[in-house]
Amino acid sequence: MFDLTPLYNVVGLLPFDCLQPQFMRQALTALLLLAPMTATLGVQVVGFRMAFFSDAISHSAFAGVALGLLFAVDPHLSMPLFGILVGLGIMAVRRHSDLSSDTVIGVFFSAVMAFGLAVVSRNNAVARDLQQFLYGDILTITETDIGWLLVLFVFLMAFQVWGYNRLLYIGLNPIIARAHRIRVGLCQYLFAGLLALVVMFSVWAVGVLLVTAMLIVPAATARNLARTAGGMFWWAILASMSSAVIGLVLSAQEWMGTASGATIILVSCGWFAGSLVATFLRGDRGR
Amino acid sequence: MEPNDAAVVFAGVSVSRSGLSILENVTAAVPRNSCTVIVGPNGAGKTTLLLALIGEVSCRGDIRMGMGRDGAPLRLGYVPQRLSLDRGMPLTVEEFLVMGLQRRPLWLGVRPELRERSLTLLASVKAEHLARRRLGALSGGELQRVLLALALQQEPELLVLDEPSAGVDFQGEHLFCELLDELRVRRGFTQLMVSHDLGMVVHHATHVICLKRGVVAEGPPAAVLTPETLTALFGLHMGVMAGQAGGIGGEARHV
Repeated sequence: MFDLTPLYNVVGLLPFDCLQPQFMRQALTALLLLAPMTATLGVQVVGFRMAFFSDAISHSAFAGVALGLLFAVDPHLSMPLFGILVGLGIMAVRRHSDLSSDTVIGVFFSAVMAFGLAVVSRNNAVARDLQQFLYGDILTITETDIGWLLVLFVFLMAFQVWGYNRLLYIGLNPIIARAHRIRVGLCQYLFAGLLALVVMFSVWAVGVLLVTAMLIVPAATARNLARTAGGMFWWAILASMSSAVIGLVLSAQEWMGTASGATIILVSCGWFAGSLVATFLRGDRGR
Repeated sequence: MEPNDAAVVFAGVSVSRSGLSILENVTAAVPRNSCTVIVGPNGAGKTTLLLALIGEVSCRGDIRMGMGRDGAPLRLGYVPQRLSLDRGMPLTVEEFLVMGLQRRPLWLGVRPELRERSLTLLASVKAEHLARRRLGALSGGELQRVLLALALQQEPELLVLDEPSAGVDFQGEHLFCELLDELRVRRGFTQLMVSHDLGMVVHHATHVICLKRGVVAEGPPAAVLTPETLTALFGLHMGVMAGQAGGIGGEARHV
């Protein structure tokens, strides 16, 4: 799609031996594109209290792949498309029903999960790939995937420029936002759609079980370290990108030999623990 | 009252939710430049009426909004009862005020002229010392003034407040109402608020709408807050208090 060699060369400048093979450079490039996206969306996920929402979308990955197999569509296409559909669906029901949002999400969650498992249990071909979705496999990411990530990255950053203040407003109180002429519905649907896409891409990287961590942990760290809402954005990016690099490099060391997704999340949890200590030392909780 | 004197006219407004009727055939008017207070017991539909006005709740009947200076419907400012805010959220008062005005995302910094503007705005609600504080660290009274500043930033012609005194002590509430009176006269907006504090109503309201699913009474406080109306509104239990309020109302008539 694009020639990504310059990008790989830049990544290769990092002083780690393990980054010499092409697949490691590709993996790190993908992670460095993904990490700022999940980190900044995470700031809003935390603001909207939507951790469970992203969980539901990541678990719809199975159903997305299963649907792709049923209708002979490439899973790379059916999975994100189905994720967007689930995301927008949850948002629509949540906006138009009196049920509390965790109930709505719970219902969607069970439906997509059951459907995915039902199809998978019929079809052995998918069952073989199941592990890849549970644990993620960033090392096998293809050039085309990275190309799409790049496109998504540009879109998402444009959305963050346009929507950061608006989403903050809506997160605090949607009624004031609407009374003060912000198009709440448009913002929420765009947010849900983009979040769904990013979550689906993250499933490739860290697996279904750890996607939510990619969103929540850097944002929670940033919340502890930042003093302003603007600062929170940068802290989240710093925490997630550094965790991605350190986690991937660590997982490639012979003495570690761990799954890269899990290692990345562990490093970012280390960041979070550090941020807790920092808050404690500052002694100014709530100020 | 002439219809064109009214900032808002509610004409036969009914709201029901899941089969339960919350408001029935509410007909009332909010005079221009008045301080109109909606009083009533819990569950009387006070907040629902405000939400119907700002378009959050769908209703049958007609809500007619008066014309503003520029010929468009009155510009709204809304002060909610509370925010859904975690105490740990790093959001400063200054950022909070700027987020609705500034196109540039907050992560690229606050523009100096908007910083100035938010300080002026905070000064007008006597809260300039709060600019650098975290929103989550404010007391109830401080948050209330910041929320008022946010609404004033819209340069409202109709300011709608949903029980602004919830969670504030008596002293704080009195100061807040004085501040609102002063701002209303200076900026010339119409003020519509919900309250169940009769003392506040007697001192500050210029127009009262007594609501209990429908309108029980409407008019100037001295004329409306009679023992009969209050008993109808709050029931027998309020007899003593109704007598007191009637007494105060009686005094007001002599002034």
